[in-house]
Amino acid sequence: MNPLTKLVLAGFLLVLGLAVPWPGTYVLFIALILPLALAGRILKPFLVALFKLITPFAVPMILIQGLFWTGGTPVIGEGPLSLKAEGLLFSAASIGRILILASSFLLLSLSTRTDILMRDLVQRGLPNQLLYIVVTSLQILPRLQARARTILDAQRSRGLETEGNLFHRLRAVVPLVGPLLLSSLIDVEERALALEGRAFNRPGPRTSLIEISDTRREALARIGLSVAAVVIFVIRIAWALVS
Amino acid sequence: MIEVRDLTYSYPGTAAPALRAVNLSIPRGQVVGIVGANGAGKSTLCYALTGYVPHFFAGSMSGTVRVDGRDIGKVPLGQLAAEIGLVFHNPFNQISGARLTVLEEVAFGLENMGVERGAMLPRALTALQATGLEHLTERSPYSLSGGEQQRLAIAAILAMEPSVMVMDEPTSQLDPVGTREVFAVLRDLARSRRATVVVAEHKLGWLAAFSDRLIGIHNGEIVADGTPQEVFSSERIDEWRLGQPLVTKVGRAVEVAEGRPRTGLLPVTVEQALDALS
Repeated sequence: MNPLTKLVLAGFLLVLGLAVPWPGTYVLFIALILPLALAGRILKPFLVALFKLITPFAVPMILIQGLFWTGGTPVIGEGPLSLKAEGLLFSAASIGRILILASSFLLLSLSTRTDILMRDLVQRGLPNQLLYIVVTSLQILPRLQARARTILDAQRSRGLETEGNLFHRLRAVVPLVGPLLLSSLIDVEERALALEGRAFNRPGPRTSLIEISDTRREALARIGLSVAAVVIFVIRIAWALVS
Repeated sequence: MIEVRDLTYSYPGTAAPALRAVNLSIPRGQVVGIVGANGAGKSTLCYALTGYVPHFFAGSMSGTVRVDGRDIGKVPLGQLAAEIGLVFHNPFNQISGARLTVLEEVAFGLENMGVERGAMLPRALTALQATGLEHLTERSPYSLSGGEQQRLAIAAILAMEPSVMVMDEPTSQLDPVGTREVFAVLRDLARSRRATVVVAEHKLGWLAAFSDRLIGIHNGEIVADGTPQEVFSSERIDEWRLGQPLVTKVGRAVEVAEGRPRTGLLPVTVEQALDALS
């Protein structure tokens, strides 16, 4: 599937999930999102990532809303430690929205390479520079971490104390930040040189080594999904204003 | 062909010129080595031959650099990339960061040049083969060793098939086998495609073995220009701080030990030394 179609589909699912009332979010998840993950052969990593993403939100929300819902009907336990039905229903509704939000993002990110999506967008007229910034930003953190480790090791070998209490640790940050910042700035100049040498700023159309497939049917599907998302959004706003 | 006329250049904020009245002519198909001490002006000359001076680095410049008759000072860098390639010593920063595999990294420049997909893959694979990286096509560029990254940087420029290749310490991260391979690729490039290859290096033995011609640079001035034997046999070599290959030093030591006056050319390769001894 074309990456742009996946992006539009993820956007449509997001709008739909936020628009439907709460039991509908779970129906949407089971009836549409899970089959899509299965079809994309990403079901297992999808469920694992979703579980990791949702649990930190879901567990505290269920406990807090369930335990502290004022004047609610206890369903599990007794007294102040009971979980209230109203709190659990509110949690279920909120978790449903988070579920849709997270799963539409995960569907896209697990089934699509960011660089290929961005390349497709560049071929459709987005600036090449934007592609570069987005893709390199995703890769820059591990590289900065690796460099910070190297600098820290070098500083340690010259006697810098990085262990101990908070004050010691904070003091160790100062000799780390300077070299990290300076070396990164030097890198920027060299990288700019290298990019110039690779015709990065050459005017004119770009091509792609990777063939990004697209069909008329997909183009029509994108238009249909976009229109549907706008219609759902407008109906949802109107509904909210009326009720 | 490269023609440099009366080139003087100073970096911004510096009084002393990094290059002084440089005049140079390099025909197509020649492998030219640039030697000199640190700070002598080798890298600046490389930048000038590729248009980065004055396009990328500001500063004051007089004189002209022409490649195949075109004044590169008047051509935007983006357009020069297809004709003039530059590889510098830090391989890590030559990885674009925008591509996830080695093959895609090599094709990055071709994509920017708008090369058709059908032509792109063979060109990228040929460049990877020439640099011995064909078995790593699906690896992440960041997972390669320093030497492999350096060869990747060379492959990325080779794939663009420039008529001029300028390299600033391209083998700094390579072991002897990798260095030999890179120099062999460069010489082949000059012979088979009649490309002009300019290499600034501190590995003098390799330069002596693979270069058709050596240019010595000292304090921003060209002080020596000739065959590797002519340049490394110069009596003023120490004054210019150009250095000599080990075999040349041994050759000179033998002359001194035998009480012979300094005449003729000293050996610069092992083969020449063996010839001299036999």
